[in-house]
Amino acid sequence: MRKEAWFGISILIAIVLALIVFMPAPADITNGHLGLLMLALIVVTIMLGFPTAFTLMGMGVIFTLFAYRGMGPKLAIEQTLDLMVLRTYAVMTNDVLIAVPLFIFMGYLVERANLIEKLFKSLHLVMAKIPGSLAVATVITCAVFATATGIVGAVVTLMGLLALPAMLKSGYDVKLSAGVITAGGCLGIMIPPSVLLIVYGAVAGVSVVKLYAAAFFPGLMLAGMYVLYIILVAKIKPAWAPPLSEEERRIPLPEFASRIKDSISNKALPGLIHALKGDRNRDIPASVILKQLLITLIPAILFVCAIGLSYKLSVSPKASQSSELMEFGSLDAPSAVQYAGSLQEPAGSGLAEPPGALAEPPGSSLAEPPGGVSEPSGATAPVTDNNAAAPAGEPVADQPSVSPVFWGVFAVGLALIIAFYAWFTFARLEIFKMLLASFFPLAIMILAVLGSIVFGFATPSEAAAMGAFGGILLALCYRRLNMPMLKESVYLAARTSAMVCWLFVGSSIFSAAFALLGGQEIINNWVVSMDLTPVEFMILAQIVIFLLGWPLEWTEIIVIFMPIFLPLLAHYNIDPLFFGILVALNLQTAFLSPPVAMSAFYLKGVAPPHVTLNQIFLGMLPFMGIQILALILLYLFPKIGLWLPEVLY
Amino acid sequence: MKKILRRIDQVNTWIGQLFGWCALILTLFVTYEVFSRYAFKNPHAWAFDVMNMLYGALFMMAGAYTLGKNGHVRGDVLYGFFPPRLQALLDLILYILFFFPGVIALVWAGYNYASESFVINEHSTITADGPPIYPFKAIIPIAGVALIAQGIVEVVRCVQCLRNGHWPSRDIDVEEVDVDKLKDMVNVTDADIENADRYVVQQGDKA
Repeated sequence: MRKEAWFGISILIAIVLALIVFMPAPADITNGHLGLLMLALIVVTIMLGFPTAFTLMGMGVIFTLFAYRGMGPKLAIEQTLDLMVLRTYAVMTNDVLIAVPLFIFMGYLVERANLIEKLFKSLHLVMAKIPGSLAVATVITCAVFATATGIVGAVVTLMGLLALPAMLKSGYDVKLSAGVITAGGCLGIMIPPSVLLIVYGAVAGVSVVKLYAAAFFPGLMLAGMYVLYIILVAKIKPAWAPPLSEEERRIPLPEFASRIKDSISNKALPGLIHALKGDRNRDIPASVILKQLLITLIPAILFVCAIGLSYKLSVSPKASQSSELMEFGSLDAPSAVQYAGSLQEPAGSGLAEPPGALAEPPGSSLAEPPGGVSEPSGATAPVTDNNAAAPAGEPVADQPSVSPVFWGVFAVGLALIIAFYAWFTFARLEIFKMLLASFFPLAIMILAVLGSIVFGFATPSEAAAMGAFGGILLALCYRRLNMPMLKESVYLAARTSAMVCWLFVGSSIFSAAFALLGGQEIINNWVVSMDLTPVEFMILAQIVIFLLGWPLEWTEIIVIFMPIFLPLLAHYNIDPLFFGILVALNLQTAFLSPPVAMSAFYLKGVAPPHVTLNQIFLGMLPFMGIQILALILLYLFPKIGLWLPEVLY
Repeated sequence: MKKILRRIDQVNTWIGQLFGWCALILTLFVTYEVFSRYAFKNPHAWAFDVMNMLYGALFMMAGAYTLGKNGHVRGDVLYGFFPPRLQALLDLILYILFFFPGVIALVWAGYNYASESFVINEHSTITADGPPIYPFKAIIPIAGVALIAQGIVEVVRCVQCLRNGHWPSRDIDVEEVDVDKLKDMVNVTDADIENADRYVVQQGDKA
């Protein structure tokens, strides 16, 4: 047997021995003692590797019987059974957890729709000019894909297959490449829509809607910090992340495009228009040109729609209901732009986002990306626009009045779109088309799901169902929807949700027994008697959770151990919402901490043979450091997370 | 004997997969419901009950299937290092100590619960005129019985492992991370990975 196993076993034996030594004589054992015994035993048995759900269930039943032992055997059994079935039934009718199988199903569908290859290729071309472009593209691909699927293992494996060879080939440092993939793959745990947050919401009784709103910016911030770190590394140590060669950056143009480019203009819009009426390009079928022209015009069309709608809305604010609608409506377009801007920030030199490119036609109710309100300059403008228009419009409803702010926004948008077309060459049209086929569908799907939750159009479970439906559509569009694929997704979704929900059943029986025995009270009194300040408590709690993250999976930590922490939060005046975001961020760190980090093993499984596990671990360390930094930042500036829910609710 | 065990395994797999389709039904149903609410202004009062039942049936009935595919989460930090015989011994003890008492109690309790509900012809109270709720409650004992049956299969597997020193194989239907399938999906071959190895070695030489 290995050293590690002996080491572990000796710890477990030590715990059991300590229990025997410290337990009072059987005659003096109170319920409280039993409660603590239960907690110690559960830690030991979980480590022994039995399926946790059933360990919890069995132990819960046995200890509940103990708790009721004073009542006589018959009544005790009856009570135990009642408690058990009620707890089970409560999980079966838990309306928060309905979203779990649906999001999991959506994840498997999206994973199998096979967008990742295109996504990575197009992002890598978009990023071509910034330092460390391949690594940055990897992080962003991971972030988008992991957010949509939420399956760490699959994302890391896929990126290990696609991005790792590409980065190694371009001369990237092995450690950096490995770190980028493993860290990026874990982003999906945190960025909503994530299953972790639903499970936390169900355990803590915090609204999932608020959790999603609160986790959004910290998740983006973490991804942004990764990108920043990579750019810094690429600047400081160019040998670790050499720029791409001219040849790798070149985008092959289709025939018609290179012909127009040679004969008319390299700019896509004028080129296509001239080609349409000119005689010089007779041999290019008009249908091809028209199609390309349509694609080229998408940003402009969206811009016109957005402006038109917000004009209409700001002109006619009638009932209070419509002014509410308007608030959403006019937030929509610029907010989407801001969001696109923030996602594309690194692309600044490569391909800046056209205004309105991400904005769905604002009429569709699902388009509100919550990210929108990110940059005050752009986003506050329409808000004030509303506020200015609404009071003005209400008393004199007949007089249409458009505030100057609207025209300001319009002018800026127009200037941007003209600048955009001046810069939109055929090569960029190709990139745009690639993004249109990979990045935008996923981003729009995620934002639609999130937006409909956060703005209250649908409950999280409804949005999850629509997300899963979106996954089916996506698979259909990519011609990947077939019976075997659907079967696999369904079976895997069934298994994973059974795993999560049975764990929930087991743990709710267990925690009922724990509470019955008064174990919770003892822990509470003990922690309270330590007389910690809230800050100390928070740090302590995070350290404990971090340590638990080593041997345990996030499901176990959230479902089993969160209920022990949660009653303490009220004592220290800590918002369970804020705590949840910190925990989610913290558990990502646990995913990356050697030597048990799962993502490292997934990567090792597909990496070239000379990439050692040690190199992967070393590569992960800086990203772990960034996560801890993000945790501290979030702790110091809770507004990063809490601002959005405060604005919205 | 072996035949019966195999049959139990297969039946549980089949049941789990069958109820897995609840995920798809749930997806389509809820999407339609939302569409109906916004497009036709026609929400259905019973939709919530149906959602709940589909979700509850899905995960409860997939429990035994998940157990049969070793899909329930376990703390495998130490477990992974143990030799198979020790793994089997620990599993065997814990099945008898925790699994069977827990699940038998669940079946017993669930049976009482569902039969009481059946006797009074209980209907859902979430909305007025809700659907009958006792078939849903009956899922608790049924899922429990399936788990017990699967538990027996697992115990026999433990005994086999104790005897032979290695775990008997499981039927695999689908894996969460199936590396070969993923390789196919993104058109990466082993040769490509071998190729990339060159660059790793080069870096090692320079360092």
